Amino acid sequence: MAGQAIIDLEELYQQAPCGYFSLSPSGHIMKINRTLLDWLGYEQAELLDHKFSGLLSKGGQMHFEMFFWPMATVNKGVKEFSYEVLKKNGEGLPVLLNASAKLDQSKRLVAVNVVLTDITERKSFEKELLLSKKSAENEHKRLQFMADLVPEIIWTATPDGYIDYVNARFCQYFDCNGQDTRVSFIMSKVHADDRRALLADWRASMRTGEAFEKRIRLVDRDGLYEWHLLKAALFLDEEGQLTNWFGSCANIQQHVLDMKKKDDFINIASHELKTPITSLKGLLQILDRMKGDLSNKMVPGLIDKSNRNVNRINNLVADLLNASQLNDGQLHLNKSQFNFAELIGDYVHHIRIDRQYEIITEGDRSITVLADEGRMEQVLSNLITNAIKYAPDSMQIVIRLSRTPQGILLEIVDSGPGIPPEKLPHLFERYYQVSSQSAQYSGLGLGLYICAEIIRKHGGEIGAQSVLGEGSTFWFTLPA
Amino acid sequence: MDAIIKRNNVNVIGNGEQVILFAHGFGCDQHAWKFVIDAFTEDYKVVLFDYTGSGRSDLSQYDPAKYSNIDGYAQDILDVCQALDLRNVIFVGHSVSSMTGILAAIRHPEYFVKLVLIGPSPRYLNTENYTGGFEQKDLEVLFEFMENNYLGWSSAMAPAIMGNSDRPELGEFLTGSFCSTDPDVARDFARVTFMSDNRADLSKLTVPSLTLQCSNDIIAPLAVGEYVHRHTPGNEFLRLNAAGHCPHISEPEETIAAIRAFIQRN
Repeated sequence: MAGQAIIDLEELYQQAPCGYFSLSPSGHIMKINRTLLDWLGYEQAELLDHKFSGLLSKGGQMHFEMFFWPMATVNKGVKEFSYEVLKKNGEGLPVLLNASAKLDQSKRLVAVNVVLTDITERKSFEKELLLSKKSAENEHKRLQFMADLVPEIIWTATPDGYIDYVNARFCQYFDCNGQDTRVSFIMSKVHADDRRALLADWRASMRTGEAFEKRIRLVDRDGLYEWHLLKAALFLDEEGQLTNWFGSCANIQQHVLDMKKKDDFINIASHELKTPITSLKGLLQILDRMKGDLSNKMVPGLIDKSNRNVNRINNLVADLLNASQLNDGQLHLNKSQFNFAELIGDYVHHIRIDRQYEIITEGDRSITVLADEGRMEQVLSNLITNAIKYAPDSMQIVIRLSRTPQGILLEIVDSGPGIPPEKLPHLFERYYQVSSQSAQYSGLGLGLYICAEIIRKHGGEIGAQSVLGEGSTFWFTLPA
Repeated sequence: MDAIIKRNNVNVIGNGEQVILFAHGFGCDQHAWKFVIDAFTEDYKVVLFDYTGSGRSDLSQYDPAKYSNIDGYAQDILDVCQALDLRNVIFVGHSVSSMTGILAAIRHPEYFVKLVLIGPSPRYLNTENYTGGFEQKDLEVLFEFMENNYLGWSSAMAPAIMGNSDRPELGEFLTGSFCSTDPDVARDFARVTFMSDNRADLSKLTVPSLTLQCSNDIIAPLAVGEYVHRHTPGNEFLRLNAAGHCPHISEPEETIAAIRAFIQRN
């Protein structure tokens, strides 16, 4: 009784913060509350006895007829159907409809009562959410694209150290898919000698959160180990929360090899210099003992030998200087026109004097070139000395000079043991010696590198062919 | 026989000899007939079924290729007739089932004695010299509504936002609902229905038929009903007072009376 006095149901209905309306079995509006009329901008008389579906777009009407209405009437209820209701001014109002059917005692449909909720704000929030989700996804894809593009292995790990992302290079290098990121899998790819130290450092960084750097060998899909520089750092987000470890593995195999070559080279160079210096030292000691008797008939021989050792030292130092000049791009050419055959003749004559080799020169004797004569002599000397040095049993060396459409071609042919094919491409690299037993041959291994640089500087090409057991041909061209 | 009965969730009720086969429209299942079937079970044998992919049919039998056109659905009707060995069937089809019924009756006229077509439309899209009632863009809106409303607005948005594509709530929904159709099947069915053009088939029908035309039916407007009547041999035409597209739901008595008047006449 008190309730009746307090609550005015009709007033609640009219002023509710949602729309209410009731539809007849034919879909016509029988009752509608004030709130909804206000939202839509209609007067009650304009909507009563009109079909509710008239407030929907045509596609909406189809959906209403085929889904909403059968569901509301036969299924006795509809939950959260999303529609856009057209206001009187033509604007759309996004709404959710909840409906229930009212049946009479003989189960005949009397009405469908509908609750309408305005979801304009919710829709715009959801739209924003979707947009930001999409842009986050795009950003993620961009990063992934970038990570896949770099030639290094890139990965991320959870703060407690579990790898949760790897880039395309990772999968390619280890021949696996992006899911193979278990610690045991990765550790199986690390060289056994590097594993323990890596794990120790990794665990330490996990504890402290400090970035770390480590050189490790990783085995590739073909079973070859290559040196990598592993770097990892913990990414903190703007709130200072731990998010992820970001890591990379840069392949430093070439760098490590280069450093090793340089070390080897310094080793060789020291030995090479030490031999003539030791000889010179010995010779000088003998001469020192003879300084009272310079007329001793051994003296000229000793001086001669000393000179040869000094020349050798001089040549080695000159090679070193040349190589470092080439390295810095400081090789300057003094070009002049000269007869190439004459240059060969002079040089060969010089060698023939004290050697037993048969050196045959073939070709056009009238060919002249525009080149640095001194440098050309250096190249010639290197190639011929190499032929003699590396093919000691080859008693015959052929030097063939010919004209080509582009200029001249010089070939130096020996019939020595030949060079293994896998070594041919590296002959003209710095610090490279064909035989690993470098003690067998003297020299710094700089000769061919210097030749190649001189020829390239002249605009020519240089190369070598070889058949094991038959001999080698070194050649170069010079432009006309 | 059992296979078809299971596949199409076939139900047979009633005491009569004469068979009435009710075929539901797009978006519904056999429950759509619940307000009308009681009126016929006394005198007729009422056969109800769900199209493959709709209602409580066996979803695993849904073959997207087979049901990529309306003939696939017509075959369901013939399969039911063959499985139950039905002859001289009175066929009552709602909406798209008007057309599937016509196609079935063209292929096997001997199965059918009369067709009742509720809100038939041989083509929904407007085209040259033909008003079907819809433009392509209207259909796109419908398809969008279907997408958004399949599980209710929040259930539709949540996976899109939360990235949960598994939709675990789907199974629950399917078992408890009236329009219990798999969303993918529903989308295919909608396209099959609304993109179809069966105008040329109307003239091939040899079985007598009745068009029941609702007032204010947006899906099958008056002009379309009249078109069906004009182009279908032996078609009778009746305008109902019932408004909308589902007179068997909104005005079951009027609908029952109209069907009864037509099928009881010799």
